[in-house]
Amino acid sequence: MGDILAFTISWIVVSVLGEMGVHALFQKGLYYYTATTQAVDGEAAFAFILTILTPVFAFIVVMIIYSMIRFRARDQEIRPSRKQFYNNKAFVSIWITISIVLNLMFFVHPTASAVEQMFNSERARYNSHDLIVNVTARQWQWFFNYPQYNIAQAQDSNGNSILYLPANRTVKFVLRSYDPMHTYDPYIGVVHGFWIPAFGLKQDVIPGETRYLYVHTTKITSFEVNPMVRVQCTEVCGPGHPFMEAPVHIVSSSDFLKFVKQQQQLQAQQS
Amino acid sequence: MSSVVSDMQGARSAHMKVKRMLPPVVRGLLWALIGFLIVNTLVSEVFDRMPYHPYVTRPSVTLGWVAAVIGWLLGVGAWEGFMKPYFGGTADWVVPNDWRKYFMYSIDHKVIGMQYIFSSLGGFLIAGFAAMLMRLELMKDHMWIFNNPGAYLSTVGIHGTVMMFSVGTVALIGGFGNYIVPLMIGANSTAYPRMSGISQWLVPAGIATVVLSPILGQWTTGWRGYEPLAGQDPAGIVFYYLGVFALTTSSLMVSINLTATILFKRAPGLTWNRIPMYAWGMLTVSLLNLIWLPEIQMTFLMGLLSAIIPLPYFSQLGSPLTYMEMFWLFGHPEVYIIVVPAFALWQELLPVMGQKSLFARQWGIIGLVFVMILSGLVWAHHMFTNMRNSQMLPFSFFTEMISIPTGFSFLVAIGTMWKSNLRLNTPTLFILMSLFNFLIGGVTGVLLADPVVNLQAHDTFFVIAHFHYTIIGGMVFSWFAAFYYWLPKFSGRMYNEFWGKIGAIWVFIGFNGVFFQLFLLGLKGMNRWVPVYPSYLQPMNFEISLFGFLLGLGFVFNFLHIAWMWHKGPVVGNNPWHSKTLEWQTSSPPANTNFDPIPQVIGSFYDYSDSKLAVATPYSDKKS
Ligand code: HEM
Ligand SMILES: [Cu+2]
Ligand SMILES: [Cu+2]
Repeated sequence: MGDILAFTISWIVVSVLGEMGVHALFQKGLYYYTATTQAVDGEAAFAFILTILTPVFAFIVVMIIYSMIRFRARDQEIRPSRKQFYNNKAFVSIWITISIVLNLMFFVHPTASAVEQMFNSERARYNSHDLIVNVTARQWQWFFNYPQYNIAQAQDSNGNSILYLPANRTVKFVLRSYDPMHTYDPYIGVVHGFWIPAFGLKQDVIPGETRYLYVHTTKITSFEVNPMVRVQCTEVCGPGHPFMEAPVHIVSSSDFLKFVKQQQQLQAQQS
Repeated sequence: MSSVVSDMQGARSAHMKVKRMLPPVVRGLLWALIGFLIVNTLVSEVFDRMPYHPYVTRPSVTLGWVAAVIGWLLGVGAWEGFMKPYFGGTADWVVPNDWRKYFMYSIDHKVIGMQYIFSSLGGFLIAGFAAMLMRLELMKDHMWIFNNPGAYLSTVGIHGTVMMFSVGTVALIGGFGNYIVPLMIGANSTAYPRMSGISQWLVPAGIATVVLSPILGQWTTGWRGYEPLAGQDPAGIVFYYLGVFALTTSSLMVSINLTATILFKRAPGLTWNRIPMYAWGMLTVSLLNLIWLPEIQMTFLMGLLSAIIPLPYFSQLGSPLTYMEMFWLFGHPEVYIIVVPAFALWQELLPVMGQKSLFARQWGIIGLVFVMILSGLVWAHHMFTNMRNSQMLPFSFFTEMISIPTGFSFLVAIGTMWKSNLRLNTPTLFILMSLFNFLIGGVTGVLLADPVVNLQAHDTFFVIAHFHYTIIGGMVFSWFAAFYYWLPKFSGRMYNEFWGKIGAIWVFIGFNGVFFQLFLLGLKGMNRWVPVYPSYLQPMNFEISLFGFLLGLGFVFNFLHIAWMWHKGPVVGNNPWHSKTLEWQTSSPPANTNFDPIPQVIGSFYDYSDSKLAVATPYSDKKS
């Protein structure tokens, strides 16, 4: 009985300390930098799971350490342990029940509930105010095209692709993988991964398919403010894979319109 | 079976002085070279001749490789030991009873097990060296060790491929499984010793093929050989497919052999509910292999065909996602192929080290079996970034559920430790570390099973950290426990407890220093397969690399210690751990014939309430 009591007390203490540590991590931001509602939702799911699992983790770790200290053999002589038991129905039943209940709960929340939230954010497309950005991935470059504004390829003065988005808008990315410069070669498309670390989600870009990704931007920020605000390819796509990035700028609506004007002018000059 | 052994022993004495020949390994290399040259020349110069064609083409190198592997296997001894007797000839194959027996075809499961242990160790060191190169490159945010990203990516691919297919799936199954399982179930050989002898020699062939792949050209896909990218890669990818094919064929043969051995060669009295835990682990893992290895071999064959013919299975004209789906259909069970033996080891070692009865044994077995079953249902969690949202939920569900049977392994382990008389020696320490590390892998696995979190963490260093925690943390640490635990069995000698513990603590610190930080690095935005990355990630990468080198040295230290003690360690008795399982009830190291006579099992191996053995010997063969 004494061991069970001592173990339980240590377990509770460690769990409480663990929860405090985990909580301190949440305060700092688990995802380090978030710029969309999707990222915030993901972070919340992450935090929820960690919170629940901390006592479970503590249980096993304290159990290992407690047994290591308390039940270690104290002398060289090898003899059977004085306590021998093959089972403990109560303990096993509690263990199994808790693990089933925990998993069912995780499935309902955050798994199903958070996926549901993603569906809902996609339903925002019926709102028709979405900004549509066509994203084309080729080896090894991103192209951003704004069909609503007749921008064929957003670029800076050096001809590098750039992505500008207005803050507090729902953005619909239309993702395709092919090479606009070699459309005649069907073997050239490979899988890329479209990821903006600060946006909290990614989507693979598959040759021969069109995929969508919805985000809702929450703040004005840019690659200069935080390097996590960048487009990054995450699926290995050949030797150029590490270089497949593009800076992202999230700006106010008026700045966004300035960007649009400037791009339209640039395009007019080039054609 | 014993007929085979006596047959061989008879052959040895009768033909001892017959003929001198090249050492088998050298002869194997020679025959491989001859086979390759003949077939490659025939294909590229005669059957498939094209003007201005190079001497080595993709089809010719593929067929030449097949001939080379056959030549290698025959030259190493399968000719005398397998082919000739198969066609009715005599097995005039001289097996010297010294170190040379490890360098030739053998049908003794102990020799084969040892050969597998060395092969996978070789793979571990080669792939580990590749990891060191990668970590060296990642110390800076630009290219400085490799001179192009393709070389780095080829290294990543070689590291992952060799680690997964020649260490993860081999070390505890082909190696310790072949050596220990027959001993553990009271048998004198495996069910198919001749096939087993061949399967081992596929491992060095496979490792060499993968490691030599850059000769044919860089390949950039990593260990998954992802199409459609692989379709563009230079010819190196051909050797990836071929090398993995050899390695998986080897594992398949091991699994057939171990399954049949455990089913049919148990000692009398070793009923189903007395089968030792490690043998249970080998049985479940073998069934996993039998189900999933043919599937991935077929996938790789399709990849190979689209590389050499070429067929557009997976290009934009075909179905790019099909390859990934088929890959992960195998790929997820694969990670359980790696950890199930580790679970079994926890349950095998803790009762011995605590001298206490195994707790909730039936739940341990149920856990192993359900992990085996469920592992085929979760594969698509590697593809959340590739699927419709509506497809995510079932795969999330099964992925989360698999933590229940996995948890049973923890249940058994801690129940066994509770109130035991735990000897805190090196194997125990490694097992406890394995429990701890795998727990972190498991917790982060629950996070990754959640689609919303997964969409952020997928393909970042968070995932790298997670799977190294399960594979190194779970399997490699248990592998070391097995090394230290069974060292007295292999050699009759004991390691040094002080240096053993130093070794354990060393790799534990190195390991957690590297991989815990990788979680944070991944969340900070470090994606995979990049030798060049944004500079804000550089300080952390630098420090991780230092821990990485510490870890690498720690592994080497442990191996040196084990190797040294193998020859120079203090001699110990047959059963230094006071274990009740059968492998310790014979001499250490075991004689050519494991058990003479075969023991009869009369009780449980995991009942430590008294010191009575679970076997009654001698068992008289005539009664049955
Ligand atoms: C000294 C220990 C090790 C270190 C420092 C290490 C380091 C690494 C690194 C840096 C990567 C590349 C990640 C990326 O950019 O995608 C990697 C990938 C990988 N490692 Fe290890 N590793 C070690 C041991 C192992 C072991 C023991 C195994 C398995 C038995 C293993 C299996 C893998 C696999 C499968 C990959 C994925 C490769 C791919 O994406 O193709 N590693 N490792
Ligand atoms: Cu890409
Ligand atoms: Cu890429």
